[in-house]
Amino acid sequence: MINPRTQELKNSRAESWEPKIAAFLCNWCSYAGADLAGTSRREYPPNIRIIRLPCSGRVNPLFVLKCLMDGADGVLIAGCHTGDCHYSEGNYYARRRFAILKKLFEFLGIDPRRFQMAWVSASEGDKWVKVVKELVEEIKKAGPILAKS
Amino acid sequence: MIEELRNKARELLKTKQVEAVIGYQRASDGLSAIPCVIRSEEEAGRLIWDAACVYNLCGYLKDFRAKKLGIVAKACDVRAMIVLISENQLNRDDVFIIGMECCGVVDEKRARVSGRDGSDISSADKCKSCASCVPLAYDCLIKEKREKAKVSEDADKDKYEPVRKLEAKSLSEKSKSWKDEFKRCIRCYACRQVCPMCYCPRCVADQFMPVWFSKAGGIEGNFSWNVARAMHLAGRCIDCGECERACPVGIPLRDINRKIEKDIKELFGYEAGMKTDAKPFLACFDKNDPEDFIK
Amino acid sequence: MTLRILLNRVKTDTLLKKNMTKFIKKEDLYKLLNSFLKDFEIIGPKQIANKGIFYEPLESIEDLYLGELFAIEPAKKFFLESSECLFHSGFLDGKATVQDAPLPDKRRIIIGLRPCEAKGLILLDKVFDSEYKDRSYINNREKSVIVGLACAKPDKSCFCTSMDGSPTGSRGMDVLLFAVEDGFIVEIYSDKGKEAFSSLGKEPDEHQNKTLSAYKQKRSELIGKNFKVPGDLSPIFESDYWDKVSFPCLSCGVCTYLCPTCHCFELVDEGRKMYRCNDGCAFSNFTLEASGWNPRPTKKERYRQRVFHKFDYFKKIFGENLCVGCGRCIRHCPVKMDISEIVSNAPSGAGK
Repeated sequence: MINPRTQELKNSRAESWEPKIAAFLCNWCSYAGADLAGTSRREYPPNIRIIRLPCSGRVNPLFVLKCLMDGADGVLIAGCHTGDCHYSEGNYYARRRFAILKKLFEFLGIDPRRFQMAWVSASEGDKWVKVVKELVEEIKKAGPILAKS
Repeated sequence: MIEELRNKARELLKTKQVEAVIGYQRASDGLSAIPCVIRSEEEAGRLIWDAACVYNLCGYLKDFRAKKLGIVAKACDVRAMIVLISENQLNRDDVFIIGMECCGVVDEKRARVSGRDGSDISSADKCKSCASCVPLAYDCLIKEKREKAKVSEDADKDKYEPVRKLEAKSLSEKSKSWKDEFKRCIRCYACRQVCPMCYCPRCVADQFMPVWFSKAGGIEGNFSWNVARAMHLAGRCIDCGECERACPVGIPLRDINRKIEKDIKELFGYEAGMKTDAKPFLACFDKNDPEDFIK
Repeated sequence: MTLRILLNRVKTDTLLKKNMTKFIKKEDLYKLLNSFLKDFEIIGPKQIANKGIFYEPLESIEDLYLGELFAIEPAKKFFLESSECLFHSGFLDGKATVQDAPLPDKRRIIIGLRPCEAKGLILLDKVFDSEYKDRSYINNREKSVIVGLACAKPDKSCFCTSMDGSPTGSRGMDVLLFAVEDGFIVEIYSDKGKEAFSSLGKEPDEHQNKTLSAYKQKRSELIGKNFKVPGDLSPIFESDYWDKVSFPCLSCGVCTYLCPTCHCFELVDEGRKMYRCNDGCAFSNFTLEASGWNPRPTKKERYRQRVFHKFDYFKKIFGENLCVGCGRCIRHCPVKMDISEIVSNAPSGAGK
């Protein structure tokens, strides 16, 4: 029994599938890093939808769940490197929280490639491009999320 | 043992040390127990104690905020209280813990689905891996009179073995088997209501903007509800097994809880409800927490 | 088979003037059901190891469980679905449109219902198929043949006889099966049932007829709980009895969701669609208003509501208790609350 809404989505996306990825970026590092990649005219796949948050510590596991259950093929959380958090320690909390969530997803049969985390600082435009390229590659391999359900 | 318990309750009520005692009384079927609240000395005769006293009574404490209460508690129930105290949900001075030495409770759930009355059913699974029959904290302890309360023989065995077995399955197998389980979920939220740790005044499942867990009849909503419930208990669940017992459709919720418990123990060396002065797991961090999963 | 022709004629309760009784061997019954499989959806109880009995659409008749144990969820969910789309809205040529959700037209045979569950459907008919006609409920009713199974061994939580029912009652059934040693005695009550089962089996012999009457006699005696519901509960509405008895209640939805007669629902908007989903009076947000005011703030009011709806309000309107005594809310209550005990012990008159 599939949710009729997701069934529609599934039908509309059967052909020429491109992954849709939700990315939660911290305002101070990763968002600026992605900005830098843009202003330095670096190219990367357009499959990513960026949602800006004050801190990676603001990301609630519910956000990740809601994205995956409503049809996102993958979720990325990016924040400051440890020790660089604008609010001193937000990313330390996030790190603990999502270490558990990632393991739980795998336990419940969700492909671990669908949920990833990265530390990207404001100066790492190149790293941002690399992270996104790799992520999109991996999620293409994992396939559409709804086809699996 | 029961007389000792009743006398203690009488004494507490008489000396006005507590306003009421939360305990167990016999249910209408004459075998199982039902939670009760004792407010006067005369009522104390209703209290019982035996292997049918499966429930974790800490959930009822929230009905009586800021009143001095007595509570009948097993080892696992006391662990729940320790977590509640560390989260400022309970004031240690407000409760008088009547600790009960416990040699395991019946598997009420198995009795129910097999249509038996429970008298011939062995201990619940949670008791088989339980290592302590005496609560970690108490104000008075009522000792088991029978043959020295025996810790289960299996307690030394690897507690997480069933979890390891599930982990070893392939991704598609896991996905299929959990979908089959969650498909049956009727969203009665008994798992939430029975949980001593679920005390949010308004649960995310009851919010409409946004609807976090779809009710549109697919399994997506059921799946995310069960994941979110488990995540909210990360580092707080004390494995009292009440959620799994209460679940009318038999979803193995304890497997999910124990998976998280195991990861937390292995990765962070943290166990919920073991120390009275511990900070809540997700409200603290260590600079050296593992981060090999982060790019 | 001929059944199809008949099912085009709709109503469930075109009752026969005289019941028909047949005897059918177990293998023959399974063969018959197998032959229905290609034209019908067959729904029946299925045993899932360590979890209990669940009604499910059967892919193979081999899975059908016709034993003593009771299904955990009642068959209500196939008539009043736990979540169903009522209508969806959209845009067409610049105009807003509202379309009713399509109704399923697959015919089905629901087998294994206990007399209490079938009686529950009759009670639901009073709500959804009387003054107000619910299109999807009525459709589900019309599309189903109900083949019941008389109780062999009532559970200790059962109290159907106190609710004017019986472990061998026929209300709401098209056909009722009685399990005897080497097969089933089949009683047929309606046209629908006649078309399905009259062609097979033979008249029961004298011995089997005797067995049947003894069966009916004995099963009613097996019900341990017998009590009388107070005629009018309204004098004790304000009694603190409700405070006392509702203490253990956890405010979960087990009793209402597993009840064959509870039918409260909520409407949920999701992505341009309106869904009707289960809801229950035990939840604290059931009556929560947008202002934040809750007319039933504590479990006392909520539990009282459940008792009053079943044994007072409904009785005053429809003349019957909204309870069939199946015992599910007692069996599966996480804290073993017993509604039969609570109702039968209710103080009479306006006592404190």
